[in-house]
Amino acid sequence: MSDRPAILEVRDLHAWYGESHILHGVNFAVGEGEVVSLLGRNGAGKTTTLRAIMGLVGRRTGAIKHRGDEIVSLTPDRIARRGIAYCPEERGIFASLTVEENLMLPPVVQPGGLPVEEIYELFPNLKERRTGASGTRLSGGEQQMLAIGRILRTGAKLLLLDEPTEGLAPVIVQQIGASVRRLRDLGFTILLVEQNFHFAARLADRHYVIEHGVVVDRYSRDDINQRMGELNKLLGV
Amino acid sequence: MRLTKLALATTALVGLATGAAQAEISDGVIKIGVLNDRSGLYADLSGEGSVVAARMAVEDFGGDLQVEILSADHQNKPDVGSSIARQWIDQDGVDLIIDVPTSSVALAVQQVTSDTDTAFISSGAATTALTNDQCAPTFVHWTYDTYALSVGTGKAVVEQGGDSWFFLTADYAFGHQLEADTKRVVEENGGQVVGQVRHPLSTTDFSSFLLQAQSSGAKVIGLANAGGDTTNAIKQANSFGIVQGGQQLAALLGFITDVHALGLDVAQGLTLTTGFYWDRTDESREFSERFGERMNGQMPTMVHAGVYSAVAHYLKAAAEIDDDGGKAVVDQMKTVPVNDFFAENGEIRADGRMIHDMYLVQVKTPEESEKPWDYYNILATIPAAEAFQPLEQSTCSLVTN
Amino acid sequence: MQTILGIPAPLLFGQLLIGLINGAFYALLSLGLAVIFGVLNVINFAHGALYMMGAFVGWFLLTHLGIGYWPALVLAPLVVGAIGIVIERTMLSRLYDLDHLYGLLLTFGLALIIEGLFINYYGVSGQPYAPPQALQGGYNLGFMFLPAYRGWVIVASLIVCFGTWLLIERTQLGAYLRAAVERPELVRAFGINVPLMMTLTYGFAVALAGFAGILAAPVYTVSPIMGQNLIIVVFAIVVIGGLGSILGSIVTGLGIGLVEGLTRTFWPEASSTVVFVIMAIVLILRPHGLFGRPRE
Repeated sequence: MSDRPAILEVRDLHAWYGESHILHGVNFAVGEGEVVSLLGRNGAGKTTTLRAIMGLVGRRTGAIKHRGDEIVSLTPDRIARRGIAYCPEERGIFASLTVEENLMLPPVVQPGGLPVEEIYELFPNLKERRTGASGTRLSGGEQQMLAIGRILRTGAKLLLLDEPTEGLAPVIVQQIGASVRRLRDLGFTILLVEQNFHFAARLADRHYVIEHGVVVDRYSRDDINQRMGELNKLLGV
Repeated sequence: MRLTKLALATTALVGLATGAAQAEISDGVIKIGVLNDRSGLYADLSGEGSVVAARMAVEDFGGDLQVEILSADHQNKPDVGSSIARQWIDQDGVDLIIDVPTSSVALAVQQVTSDTDTAFISSGAATTALTNDQCAPTFVHWTYDTYALSVGTGKAVVEQGGDSWFFLTADYAFGHQLEADTKRVVEENGGQVVGQVRHPLSTTDFSSFLLQAQSSGAKVIGLANAGGDTTNAIKQANSFGIVQGGQQLAALLGFITDVHALGLDVAQGLTLTTGFYWDRTDESREFSERFGERMNGQMPTMVHAGVYSAVAHYLKAAAEIDDDGGKAVVDQMKTVPVNDFFAENGEIRADGRMIHDMYLVQVKTPEESEKPWDYYNILATIPAAEAFQPLEQSTCSLVTN
Repeated sequence: MQTILGIPAPLLFGQLLIGLINGAFYALLSLGLAVIFGVLNVINFAHGALYMMGAFVGWFLLTHLGIGYWPALVLAPLVVGAIGIVIERTMLSRLYDLDHLYGLLLTFGLALIIEGLFINYYGVSGQPYAPPQALQGGYNLGFMFLPAYRGWVIVASLIVCFGTWLLIERTQLGAYLRAAVERPELVRAFGINVPLMMTLTYGFAVALAGFAGILAAPVYTVSPIMGQNLIIVVFAIVVIGGLGSILGSIVTGLGIGLVEGLTRTFWPEASSTVVFVIMAIVLILRPHGLFGRPRE
C-alpha cells in the first residue's frame, strides 16, 4: 500500500452485466498522485473494473470510496462531476463532431483543468487537425491523444485510462507514455488498464493483477524485476 | 391501427351476440346492425348519431317487438364493411343493415345482403348504382343520391348564371359519379364543364387543386367530395380568395355538420342540396331537439334523420307481416307510403329508391343566424318527382324485367 | 402565355410555391421525428396526435379563454411540450433498454388513445379557427394569389427549422446531443445528465409538433384526425432523408412538398402516393436514406 492518502479505495467490488457476474470482490486502492496499473489477461475483468467505478455496469455492490465518500450508488454523471474522468478502450471519438468539438465536449467539472493551449502542447498533432474534419478521420494514435486530451480540460484529477496503447505503432506508444509521465508530474492521479505490460512497467508506481474478477496479486515498481517470472506466468506473456 | 379497431369492434360484437344463430321474428327479436364510419371523415355525419337515431326509432316504435341494435366501424373500406356484414348475418343473425356511408362500401355490402336475403337500407351512401345496375330486391335507398344532389345544386346554380364549371372530385366511386351526374345536369341546362381534377380521399391540402380551378377561369367550382374533404376545400378556397375573385363554390354534398365545422364566417352563401333540415317543421324540430339532447346539442344531419325514418318504417312493415326475410319486409315497405317528420308522402319505388322532396338551401350569414345550428335558408323545395332519377331511366333489373 | 411541359408557367410556379408551404409543415414534423429517433432511438408514432393537440390547444385557448393566435403560438408548443415530458418521464423512459419496437408500440397506442378521446369529445368534422387579423387577405404575386397566412407559414417554419438546426449543429448543447446520439453512456460518464437531456429533447421535439399544429390550425380544419394522414407521409420523409439526420429531414421535408406540388399538377390522382414511391426507390438504392450515415 502506498504511503500517500488514498484518492480511490475499492473494497469487495462485485459487478454484473445482466445475468453474468463479472467481478467477484475486487480490492485495491490508488493514492493521490500515483500511477497505478491493472494488469491481467483478456477477459479478466480489468475494463469492467473501470466501468464499475464509473457506474457504467448493470449492477454493482461493495464499496468504492472517492476521497473518503461512498460513490457506489451514484449515477455516472454524478461520479464524473466529482472529478473522475474516463477514457474508454474504444476511445469513444464522436464521428458527428469535429476534432475541436470532441475536445471541447466534456464539461468542466472542477476548476484547475489544463488550458486548451497546454493540451495542444502535449499533443501537437491535434492542433494541426482541430478544425473541419470529423473526429473519426484522425489516425488511431491521434484519436487516442484526442480521447486523453479532452478529459484533461475538465478539471478532473483522477483519470481512468483503458488500454491507451492498444493497436498503436511503437513510436506513438512512446509519445503516449511520455504524455502520461508528464501528466503525473502535473499532479494527475492515473488508474491505467493495460495489456502492454512493458508500457505499464515503465510508467506505473504499482501494479495489481486481476484474474477471474478478483485481484490476485500486487507488485510495487521495485518488485517487478525480481518477480518477473511469476508475473509473466500470471499474465501468460 | 385500423386492424386494432376492427378487432375491438368484433370483440364487442361477439359479446353482444346471443346464442340464436338466426333470429326469427316469432322469437320477437329483430337485430339491426348500424354499419358506418365511426372514426374517419364521415363519422360526424353518420357514426354514433346514426346509432342514436336508430335507437330512438326503436324506442318510439314500442310494441311487442324485441329489437336489438349492433354497431360497427367499416372504416370506409369495402373489404372491412363486407366482412362485418357477413359476420353479422352468418353469426349474429342480423336482419337489417342500415346507414353504410361511402358508396364503395355500400356496393360491397349490397352483394352480401342480396345473397343472404337480408334487408339493407342505406341512408349514408350516395351512388345511384345501388338502384340501377347493382340494385337488389332487399335494398332501399333512403335519404339522397348523387342524382338528387346534382339536380338540386347543378340545376339551380346554372339557372342563376353559373354556366361554366370546374370540378374538384374525390377520386373514388362516389366522387366520379357525382361529377358525372352533375356534369350531365349542367350540360342539359345549357352550361359547360371546362375541366376537373381528381384528388385522393382525405386530402389535407387543397391549395394546388384550387389553384388549378382558379386558373381554369370557370365561374363555378363544383366540390364533388364529402365530409372533411369538402370542409377543407371550402376553408382553403376562402383563404385563397377564390370567392372574392368572382368564382362561386358549389358543395355538391354538404352536411350541416360541415357547415358547423367551417363556421358561418367561412361557409356563408354556400349553396347545397339536402334531404332534411332540422328547423323546417314542428315535427322535424321536435325530433331534432330530442336527438340533440342525446348528442351534446348536435342537430341531426339528413343521414341521421333518414336512419330514424327508415328504421321506423322497417319495423312497421316487419310487424305488419310478422316476418324478417329481407325481400319480404322490403316488399311490404314498398306498399306503404312514408309519412313522418322526414318525408311527406315518400314512396319506395320498384328499384328501391325512396323518393321524397329535397331542399335547395343557402348557408346564412353570421348576422342572420339567431340561435345555435340556425344555418340554412331554404331557397326551394325540389319535388320528389323531379329530385330523383325517373324510374323509366333506371337500369335496375327489377324495373327492366 | 409561356408554358413548361404543357403547363402554363404561372400555374407551375404557383404549384411549386404551394408545395413549399406543405413542405414547411413536413419539415417541422419530420425534424421533430428525426431528433427523437436520433437521441432517444424511439420511433414516435404519437407525433401526429401531438401535432393535432397543438392545433386543439390553440382552438381551446381561443374559444374558452379568449386567448388569440399570437400568444397561442407560444403557449400551444409549451403545453404540448409539457405533455411530451410527462409521457417521456412516466412511460417512454422505461423502454430505452428494450428493442425500439416497444417504443413504437407504446407511442402508437398513445396516438390511438389521444385521437380516440378527442374524437369522443369533439367529433371528426373539426372546429373553426380563423387566421389572425394581421394575416388575413393576401398578395397578388402575378402568377398566383398568395394568402398572407401561408406566406407566414413558410417564414415561421423556416426560421424554426433553421434555428433548430443551428442549435444542434453549432452550439455546445447541440454537441452534447449529437454525442449522446452516438454514445449516450460515454457522454453520461463525462458528467452530463443524459436522462434529463433525453426528457428535454423529447419535450422540445414534440413542442415542434405542437408548433406545427397551431401553425396549421388556420389552414387546415382543426380535427382529431388531422394528424393521422399527415404522420404517415412524414414518416416516409424521415426514411427518405435518413433516420436521425437533422438536415436530411428538413431538406427532404421541403423537397417532398415540392415534388407533391408538381405531381398535383401533372398527375393529381397520384399525389398522395408519390412520396411512398420515392421512399421505395430510396430504400432500394440507398437504404440508409439520402442524408443518413450507414449504422455500424
